Amino acid sequence: MAGPESKKGWLGLSENTWTYGALALGTVLTLADFLAAFLIAPLVLGAGVSQTAIINGIAVSNKLLFSQKIFYFHVPVAISSFLIVFVAGYYSIRFLASREKIYDTKARIGVEVALVFTVLTMITGDLWTRFEWGAWWVWEPRLTTYFIMTLLIIAYFVLRNSIEDEERRAVYAAVWGILIPIDAAISFLITRLIPSSVHPVVLRSGGGLLPTQLIPFLIGLFGMMMIAWVVFRLRMREEIAKERIDVLKSSIEG
Amino acid sequence: MQLDPILVEIYSTVFDAAPYVIAAYACLWLGLMVYIGFGVNRVSKLEKQIAVLEDSLARREGAA
Repeated sequence: MAGPESKKGWLGLSENTWTYGALALGTVLTLADFLAAFLIAPLVLGAGVSQTAIINGIAVSNKLLFSQKIFYFHVPVAISSFLIVFVAGYYSIRFLASREKIYDTKARIGVEVALVFTVLTMITGDLWTRFEWGAWWVWEPRLTTYFIMTLLIIAYFVLRNSIEDEERRAVYAAVWGILIPIDAAISFLITRLIPSSVHPVVLRSGGGLLPTQLIPFLIGLFGMMMIAWVVFRLRMREEIAKERIDVLKSSIEG
Repeated sequence: MQLDPILVEIYSTVFDAAPYVIAAYACLWLGLMVYIGFGVNRVSKLEKQIAVLEDSLARREGAA
């Protein structure tokens, strides 16, 4: 049987080439985002100060906020978490439509990867609010709905572990897996419905981010999405490999 | 040399937050890379195990 190093996929490139190539690219892009965030992206303005100072030929009369730099990691991770949740929801629907085990596996792994990115989002978000406002948590709309999404993701695994019957477990998990992206959509859109100072809408036409902010952000976003895809692919290969090992061991023993 | 007090006020959050923000960003990025590294390692070991088992099965079927 051809392993991933030799099995040809899209454009004739092997699975390994795609996976590790994407990992290398994602690593380089997120590292570039890290460097650009601190070396290129300008500091954002905070509270006003008593007088104006001239810095690099520009009049500045506000405090400059450094904690905002977490934006260049926090938002790409958060958007990636939303995307993975939608991927898991898609595979949940595919499972309910076809009842094929592979879709249940893909949905489970999608939610697992989403948990990793959700935790990273929560940590970076908490650090940001702590540095900037001195509070670890505020019950504002996006934070609250995102926290609900985190609880739904954790509950997904609690639900799976509480049901012994494989078929029933997969069906119930698939239904739950469809609920999670519904909350993800609410969490993403809520700041457009209920304005929030903690989560202003920056991804919009006609302003929001300067080019020196937008370019590092987009580099980081693309890199983080690649990394999320790589993590998903690696976990899928792990599951497929484990199943293959079980089959081979049965054949050898049988 | 003493900094202009207005500049000190403007950069006050930068001086306090910079080490922690950079360290937090770096630690989280490294943590993610380490997690991926463990995943790559696990997959690599499993695929080597598959190769050994397939070879063993092929030899057994050949002998049979």
